Formats: sequence, C-alpha cells, structure tokens
Amino acid sequence: MGGAPNNVTETPEFLLSVRDLNITYQTTRGPVPAVRGVSFDLESGDSLGLAGESGCGKSTLAAALLRLLPPGTTTSGEVTIDGQDLFSLSPGGLRAVRWTKESIVFQGALHALNPVQTVGRQVCEPMLVHETEVSQKAATEKSRNLFERVGLTADKLDYYPHQLSGGQRQRVLIAMALACDPDLLIADEPTTALDLMVQAQVLALIEELRRESALTLIFITHDLSVLAYVCERLAIMYAGRIVEEGPSLEVFRQPAHPYTRALAAAFPTIGDPSSRLSPTGLGGDPPTPGALPQGCPFHPRCPLAEDRCQDEEPGLRVAGASRAAACVLI
Amino acid sequence: MRTDLNPIVSVDEVSIFFGSARAVDGVSLEVLPGEVLALVGESGSGKTTLIRAIQGLQQVSGGSIRHRERPEQESTDLRADSGVQMIFQDPTGALNPRQTIYDIVAEGLRIRRDGTDEEKRVGDALARAGLRPPERFFPMFPHQISGGQRQRVVIAGAMVMNPILLLADEPVASLDASIRGEILALMRQLVDDTGLSILAVTHDLGLAWNIADRVAVMYLGRIVEIGTTEQILENPQHPYTRALLSVVPETRRMEQQILQGEIPDSKRIPAGCRFHPRCPLYRSGDLDEGIAARCTTEDPHLMLGAGWHAACWAVDPQTK
Repeated sequence: MGGAPNNVTETPEFLLSVRDLNITYQTTRGPVPAVRGVSFDLESGDSLGLAGESGCGKSTLAAALLRLLPPGTTTSGEVTIDGQDLFSLSPGGLRAVRWTKESIVFQGALHALNPVQTVGRQVCEPMLVHETEVSQKAATEKSRNLFERVGLTADKLDYYPHQLSGGQRQRVLIAMALACDPDLLIADEPTTALDLMVQAQVLALIEELRRESALTLIFITHDLSVLAYVCERLAIMYAGRIVEEGPSLEVFRQPAHPYTRALAAAFPTIGDPSSRLSPTGLGGDPPTPGALPQGCPFHPRCPLAEDRCQDEEPGLRVAGASRAAACVLI
Repeated sequence: MRTDLNPIVSVDEVSIFFGSARAVDGVSLEVLPGEVLALVGESGSGKTTLIRAIQGLQQVSGGSIRHRERPEQESTDLRADSGVQMIFQDPTGALNPRQTIYDIVAEGLRIRRDGTDEEKRVGDALARAGLRPPERFFPMFPHQISGGQRQRVVIAGAMVMNPILLLADEPVASLDASIRGEILALMRQLVDDTGLSILAVTHDLGLAWNIADRVAVMYLGRIVEIGTTEQILENPQHPYTRALLSVVPETRRMEQQILQGEIPDSKRIPAGCRFHPRCPLYRSGDLDEGIAARCTTEDPHLMLGAGWHAACWAVDPQTK
C-alpha cells in the first residue's frame, strides 16, 4: 500500500507511525472533533504513555489505531503499522494486522469477556481465527503457557468470567491480547478499576513482558504517576491534541505545560510537605470536544493565561532536549 | 481539632457477618470532633460495610456503634440521625437530572418536613459548598454545571442537614484528575470552618495525605494499623501497610513489595494473624521463632485507644 518509492525509507523503520491524525465524530448536533492533528512514532520496543482527562481523545486515538471507530467517523492523516497504511487496508489485510501485529486490552475486564464461555475458550479463539495455531490442541497448549506468563494457574482456563476476581479477569484479557504474539500492545486504562496491590501486580507483569519480548507498548490512563514509571515517553493530551511530550520522569517531575503541571499535582507525593493538608485542583471542566474555546483550548482554566492566549492555538514547540510543549509561554 | 475529644461516634468491637462470611470481624474505632479520618483498604477489606453500619443501613452482628448525642443548644426539631450524612462516589448518578439544584438540595429538609427558612438554608449550604452566589444555581439543572460543581451540589445536599459527621465513600474516585483537588480542598475547608468530622473510605493513599488527620488501614475485616497520617504514611509499621505504601507509584523510592495473590475470602479467614500467609516478614523466615509461632496461632488484636497501634506480633509490643 501507499506509494512505491516510500518502501525505501531513509528514516529509521518505525513500527507505528501516526501523522497528523484527525478524527471527527458525526453527531446529530454536528461534527465533533475528538482528535486534532496528532503525530508520533514508535520504534520496536518503545513504550509511550498517553495521559489526559475524560474527553481528551485518548481512547478515540486508541480505537483508531485498530480501526475500531464507529461507522461514519471522519478521519484524515496517516497511520502506518509495520510499513502498511492502516486506513487503506482491505478487510482481509486488517484482519491480518489485528491481534497479530497489534492488540488492545480494554478497561472494564468484566464487560470485555463473554460471560457464557470459559475464559480458556476465549483465549483460544483469536489463535484459531487468525490461524496462528493449527489445532485446538495447540491453541490450548499456548493458552496454558500464556496463563502461566500472566500469573494464572492452568485450572483457571475452565473458569467462567464471573468465577474470577477483577485482577484475574484483567490478567485473562492481557493473556488474550498476547495470544497471537503481537508486536504492539495498546492498554487502555487496564488498571483503573483495580485495587492498589492488584494494580501493582499487573504493572509488574507488563514490565516483565516487555523485558522478555521486545513488546511495544502504548499505555493510556489519567494517572500520570503510573505512566511515569511504566513508560519511557509520555504524551499529555488536552482537547484532542498532544500538548506536551517527552521522557516520562522529566515530564512528570518538571512539567513544561501548565496543564501537565496541574495533572501532576493532582496526585500528591506522599511525604511531600507542600501537599500535606493542601490539595490542589484546577477548577472547571475539561472542554467539550464539540465546543472548544477560541485560541488555546486550555486558556479558560489556565492559571498563567495571558490575553494573547485567546487569539491563537499554539502548536508544539521545543521545550528542552527531546521535549515539546504547546504553550506560548515556552 | 477541637479540645473536646468526646468521640462523635464510637465503634466498639463491631462484627458484621453475612452467613459464614465475616465481612467486618471485630473493629474498634472512634471518630473525634473536627477530624478527617481516612479508612483505607482494598476491595473486600470490609470498609464499605463498616460505614454502612455507622450510617445505620446495616445491622451489626456483634459489638456496638454509639453516636454522640447532639448538644442541646444545637438541637432543633431535626431527628438525631440527620447528624450523619453520606456523600457518594459518582455525583452524576447521585443527582436527579430532572430536578433543579434548589430542589435537590432542599430535598433532605422536605423529607424531614422541616420547612423553616428553607430558602436561606439551601442558599447557605450551596455557599458553604463553594457555589456562590447561590441564587444563580437555584434554577439550574445538573447537566448545566461542571463535574466539580455537581460534586459540590452533592456536598451541599448533605450540609443543609447541618451534620456533625460526613461519611464519604470514595468521594473523588470517579472525578477527573484536575477536579479531584478542588473537592478535597472543599472537604478539608468544611472541617476547618465548621468543626464537622469526616470519615472517608478510600483506597487512595494520596487522598489521606491531602486531607486526613488520621488513617486507619483495614485488611480482611479488621483494622491492622491506625495512627496519625504522618505516622502511617511516612513511617508505617505493619507489614501490610508497608507493602501497600511501597506500591504507590509516587513512593517508589521505597523498595517495592508486591504481595502475591489477593485478599482471601472472608469465609475462610486464615488462623492466627489473618495476614500471615501473605506477610513478607513472616514469609522471609527471619522472624524470631517464638514470634513466628504466634503469627500462625494467635490472632493479634487492636484495642480501642488513642495513639498509634499495629496489629502485628513482630512490630508492636503492645499487641494483645
């Protein structure tokens, strides 16, 4: 797919390349831009954390990377996975990409599993459909291995979802996502509904999987502190755009964008006297995608906003070594 | 905190059983006037069952819960039980979308058939919750205000009853990150301004650090450690609290102790110390033999009292 000359690339080979991606939902009230001009590249083995609040476009972006958007949604821009143009793939080509090249772990493990099938059967299914395993026997054997890798005993293969705890169900979903050995794993809030200790178990599991195989990871959540430790790079989204990007710990500890600063401060550092008995918040709501403010969409909530912020929406600009932020104050 | 330390509510050796499940299994706890007490624990620890009992929505199987009588000068024609109000996790679900903000906040008063000065009291409650000027919000509907303002309306609906104790079940868990701080700041301010007490149930240790005076940690139906926020979060002693803190992403300067497995079923509470099968100290094999023997045979129990306590044979000499 794509122009033939592009097959000879002079730039490094990216596993995933997103170029100026725009996604607009068509609603009865008119078009709603959910993702606006997002670009990033991932090399094999990279890990990217995507953070932002409800409505910032992070889950829409995740769905687009698997072409799971509802019919009628308008997209422009380019998504290339392993050299293939995602948006021009035929249904057959798309099937070959899903599960085997990239797969997704959704939030809400209870709803993502079929309640009337054993979890073992559900983990086998993608392997048989995508013919990555030749027989039911081979697929069952692989499921057994996958369960072991995610810390579940093999007897759980015969369980139904309701017989498992939330943490165990989340592990099943991770095992399922890994069934066809994908290169890229997209995890959309995989730990949000989990308890602290179970969250730690799942995060440790993901870290271990990344160490063992050169798995590439996109991890989505609103909890910056989780991302800072799981991912090498961090992208902060606001109103459909990436407003800050850079190495995780740097972005978390020394945010450049005022919004990132507010988001980072929302999760206090225990033991830090400045946050003891003094919670800090931003006030206001994230903007509605259908009715974005003029100029910088963050200006109505921004503690540092100036008059010029109402005029023009700033693009990403350099904010240090391999860092960028979309704020006129930088 | 006020100098008057007569507890607002005393929970004394309370147990709550559902069949053979011991959801709450001998808990003693006091909420003092003007304090924020964070009750921290994972799902299955019994924390929500316990506050339902404090609110009177759940019968206890053993022990007692005593609420302090309201002082005479405060007493109106309100029934005493309106002194305890509850705020829930999801403000959008808690508000009737077809009612105005005014009617929502006034509802508690109307149920109590307490119409005196209704408009003034509704206005005061909204103003106290930070919705000013309150008159502007009277005719509005929940969808016309922001998520943070909706949680403020929920809080105003509780404050209009002039409570002495607010029970908050995960008050910020469903809110966006940037809104979380403003609601926590409001809760702390209500305590500081009005001398109200808050018992907040949460799994969020950052919330405790942000607003709580004291922290109680629950595990499998029991409080395993209690003390001031600084004691519990900066210098935890119980091995469960230590493990919990070690996995908070923000405190990763500590060495991570990821516990294996999950909280056991409350129908099968382990003998001896209920935490010992997962306890890093016990499993390390480094414990003195005499102590290790107690861990598997004797149930360490926290007694009601002031100060710091941990229910652990290895770390707290006062454990009984």
